[in-house]
This record gives sequence, structure tokens and C-alpha cells, in this order.
Amino acid sequence: MDSSLFHTPSIHKKQRIFCSFVCACLFTLSSHSAYALEVITHPDNIAQLEQLEQQHNLASVFAMRTLYWPNGERIRVIVLPDNNVIHQRFVKENLHLFPHQLRRTWNRLTYTGTGQAPNTVDSIAEMQELVNQTKNSIGYIDNGEPHE
Amino acid sequence: MVSLMNKFTLTGLTFLCCLLLSITHVAAAENASTASNTLENDDFKWSDYKKPWMDDVQIHGFLSQGLFSTTGNNVYGKSKDSVSAGSTEIGLNISYQALNNVSFAIQGLYRRAGESTGSEGKVSLDFAFIDYTFFRHQAGRFGVRAGRVKNPWGLYNETRDVAATHPTIFLPLAYYERSRALYVSMDGGQFYSDYNTRAGNFSFKLNLGLTNPADKELLRAITLDPTIQGNLTSDLSVLANLNYEIDNGKYIFAFSYANLNLGYDGQTLDPYKDLTAKIDSFMLSAQYNGERLSLTAEYALQWNQFNQLPNPFVPGATFDSSPVSEHWYVQAGYRILDNLQATLRYDSSVQDINDRKGVDFSQNPFSLPAHLMFTRDIVFGMRWDITPAWMLRAEYHRVHGSSTVSAFDNPNLIQQAEDWNIYALQLAYQF
Repeated sequence: MDSSLFHTPSIHKKQRIFCSFVCACLFTLSSHSAYALEVITHPDNIAQLEQLEQQHNLASVFAMRTLYWPNGERIRVIVLPDNNVIHQRFVKENLHLFPHQLRRTWNRLTYTGTGQAPNTVDSIAEMQELVNQTKNSIGYIDNGEPHE
Repeated sequence: MVSLMNKFTLTGLTFLCCLLLSITHVAAAENASTASNTLENDDFKWSDYKKPWMDDVQIHGFLSQGLFSTTGNNVYGKSKDSVSAGSTEIGLNISYQALNNVSFAIQGLYRRAGESTGSEGKVSLDFAFIDYTFFRHQAGRFGVRAGRVKNPWGLYNETRDVAATHPTIFLPLAYYERSRALYVSMDGGQFYSDYNTRAGNFSFKLNLGLTNPADKELLRAITLDPTIQGNLTSDLSVLANLNYEIDNGKYIFAFSYANLNLGYDGQTLDPYKDLTAKIDSFMLSAQYNGERLSLTAEYALQWNQFNQLPNPFVPGATFDSSPVSEHWYVQAGYRILDNLQATLRYDSSVQDINDRKGVDFSQNPFSLPAHLMFTRDIVFGMRWDITPAWMLRAEYHRVHGSSTVSAFDNPNLIQQAEDWNIYALQLAYQF
């Protein structure tokens, strides 16, 4: 019975459309979650991060304009190199900026002595390790697929 | 009631115990860090104490080397119909965030720039100051920096020696090398204030102090006299900058103002001994930084007042001069790739807006040509950021006029060419 239904041309077509719709949904959802980037912080600062995000734009934290956590401690920003794809995506998608804008701001701070640039690490693994070790730190990870 | 009392006492006691414990813990940690027999304490790890301190120290540096070939006039050494490698810049800085609101920063600079520094180059202290943020709130801060601070003049002056921070090898004419000493830094202090709003970020800096104008290039530019013996000195000067950025630098607008005062230090018989100079100047800056396209424009007007210049024909007599110079440029940059940028700029500079073509000037008895009074420059450059640290760029300039060339690289003013070309290459590294 089922199989005969299945072979009815009109049902077959509907089913195919439905299946492809489900697949498309799954694909969209999975690709979103697999590649989503998120901000991470030292375990002690999780509550502080929520407050920080309510009060300030994250872009201003990574641009080293917002320098302190709500509790007054200095924020330690950790980033990946400018040419790292994850960095480029994080800056564009999460901060709504371009990497060269951040670089300009950081260069100004670094080479006039009026501030410090974020610490740079080479990989997501290093990022996770350093953020976990460093109090008051903030960084980002790609929470999807494993990375090199 | 009793149970409530007990609860209260219990809580109080627990609190006291915790406090005692934490105090002894802190004391033990302090002992551990100072006592010589630290290794006996199992809990102690040197790295726990060292690390936070190391995290607060940053060391950065940069270097660049240029290669130049020109027609007509020299840049950075003997580049005319030849190749010169006369521009080298090496900088190293260290900054220490000592407390949440106190930091120290110092930068040393080695610089070779053609004949004006000689082939051996010069070492200088670029900046060195203590920074104290005395008030901060959720949206901003106020603070002071005391020592030698960089002058926030226009968009590029603060980091003028760091190749990677500007789009072309040669800075726009408004920042020309001849007046570098006048604008580069100030010994004194800087008051600063930042205010971040949803509509953008405001930043204000006010520098007060003495400039370091004891630079022959600047003196020669003012007097056009190759025999001059003394040195320019600085009197109290002011430089201020108000900067407004939307979307963290997507749009930048800035207003800079300078009031710079100079004196002259020479022998008693020196004809220039009473020379003083007062320079009032402002610069307007605007920049757009899109994903691919960047657009920049700056306009500067400078009122110069030179007093007691010696009259070359009447011994003992002096005269005053007050030219108003004007500099402006428009510049477009396009990122063909993330690490490959093309830049096109039209740049103009005149020494005196009342004599834009140098016609009046050319009536001088020394037959100095009119084109010493202006420069127009069309620049095309390509910049390749090989890695975040290494950068290579090349550019071509078509130049009309020679008001901005170095009198050290081109000592014969009469023979300076009016129309000339610059071909330049530069390799730079930063960390």
C-alpha cells in the first residue's frame, strides 16, 4: 500500500519537494551551527561578559576602546592573526567591522605608546588554552568543526 | 529568636573564618614570593607570579628600507638618474601597564633620511612618558601623559615613521619631511579624553610643551641660507586634536590645531640671533574606510610669522615675513585583494597663498626659481601585505614644483627641477 502510494507520481513529487526542503533546512541549520563563531572568556568572567555585552558593543572591546570589565578589571583581549580566516569572519560577522579597521586602531595604540594591542595567538587551540589560563581575558572560537 | 541568633552568629563566625583564611593565604603567598626558600612551599609556583607581570609588558617594533630613483631632483640621498637606498627606519618600543590606570611607554628610533641625517643616520627617543588615567566612567576616560609625547597632527603624523600605518611610501605633502622636526613630538604633557557614544567615538588630545626643532633641514627651509650656523629653539607650544569616528573607524573626521613658537640660538654676531617664528596652523581630516574602498582628504592652512630675518643687502637691518602656506590632498585606495591595495592621490602644497605660482618670489635678486614655492604631486602606488608582518610596496610620483624637497639632498636651489619623477620601492616589517 505504502509503496504503491509512494509510486504515485504526484505524491512522489510532493515527497521529493518536502525532503529537499527538510534537507535544505537541516543543511542551513547545521552549516550555521558548524561555523558559528562565539566569544569566549575566562570561566570566572562569564557573568561579567553578559553585563559587558549589555553595556557595550563588543566591537569597542576588540578595538581597545572599552578597556575595563564592569567590575573595573582590565580586559585582556586575545585574537588570531589578521590573515586568519576565522579572525576575518569574526571581525566581519560578529563585530561588523573589517580587519584593516582594527589593525589601524591597534597600530596607533602600539606605535604611539598610548595603549596596548591585543595578544595574538596562532590557532584556536592556543586561543582556548590562553583564555582559560588568563583571568579577565576575552577571545573567540569557531564552535563547530575541529580545527587545525 | 534563639535560632535566628545562632544563625547570625554562625554566619558571622563563618565569615570571620573565611576572612582569616584568606588573609593567611594572601600573607603566605606574599611570604612565598619574597622569601628565599620559596621552593619549600608546595603550593608556590613562580610562574603564577611572573605571568601576570609579563602579560602587562608588550614589546613592539618596526623597520623599513626604501629604494629610490628619480629624475630632476634628489630624494633621500643621490637618487637623481641613479638609485638611492637612503631611507631606513627602525623603531623599538616597550610598554608596561603597571596598574589598571597607570602605564609607561618608551620608543627608540633609528632613522636615515638622505643627507639631512647623513649616511650613518640618527638615533632619537621617539616617545617616553608615564600615562595616568585619573577618571573613568562607563563611556570614557580622562587622563594625562607626562614626558615626550607624539603630536596627533592630522591622520598620519603620530605614526609617521611606521611604514605600515600609511598607504604610500611618501606621506602626503602636508606632512613633508622638512617640517618633520616641528611636528613629530612634544616634551611636556598631553591631556586626553575619550568619550564613546552610540553615535560614535570622540577622542580629544591636547599637547603642551616644547618641540625639538634643532634640525638643520627646518632652519634651511625657513631661511634658505646654506651658511646659517645656529639652531632653532622652542618656546611653549600647543597642539590639539579632536577626532570623531563612526563605526570604529569606518568614517573618521578630525580637526587638528597647532600653535608652535620658535626662537634661535646663535653666536652674538650671528645675523639671525634675533630670529623668532610663530606658526599657527590647523588641519581638517576626513576618511572613509570601507571593505574595499578607502577615501581620504585633508586640508591644512598654516600662518607663519617669521620675525627679525636679516636683510641680506643692508647689514644690521632685519625684515619680517608672514607667508600663509596651504596643503591639501585627496586620496583613494582600493583593496583588490585583502592583502593587495592600490592607491591614487592628488596632492598640492603652496608656500604662500598670496603667491601661489611663486611669481613674486621669482623677482628675488638670487634668481631663485618660482617653483620653489609650490608642489603638485600625482601618486600611484601598490601595496602588498605579504604577511601581517611583512609589507612590500611600490609607487610612482609625477611631481610639478620643488617646494618640499630637501635642501640637503638638493643644495643648488637654482638648479632644482620643476617637473620630475619619483620611482620608489619599500620593504617593511612590523611586530
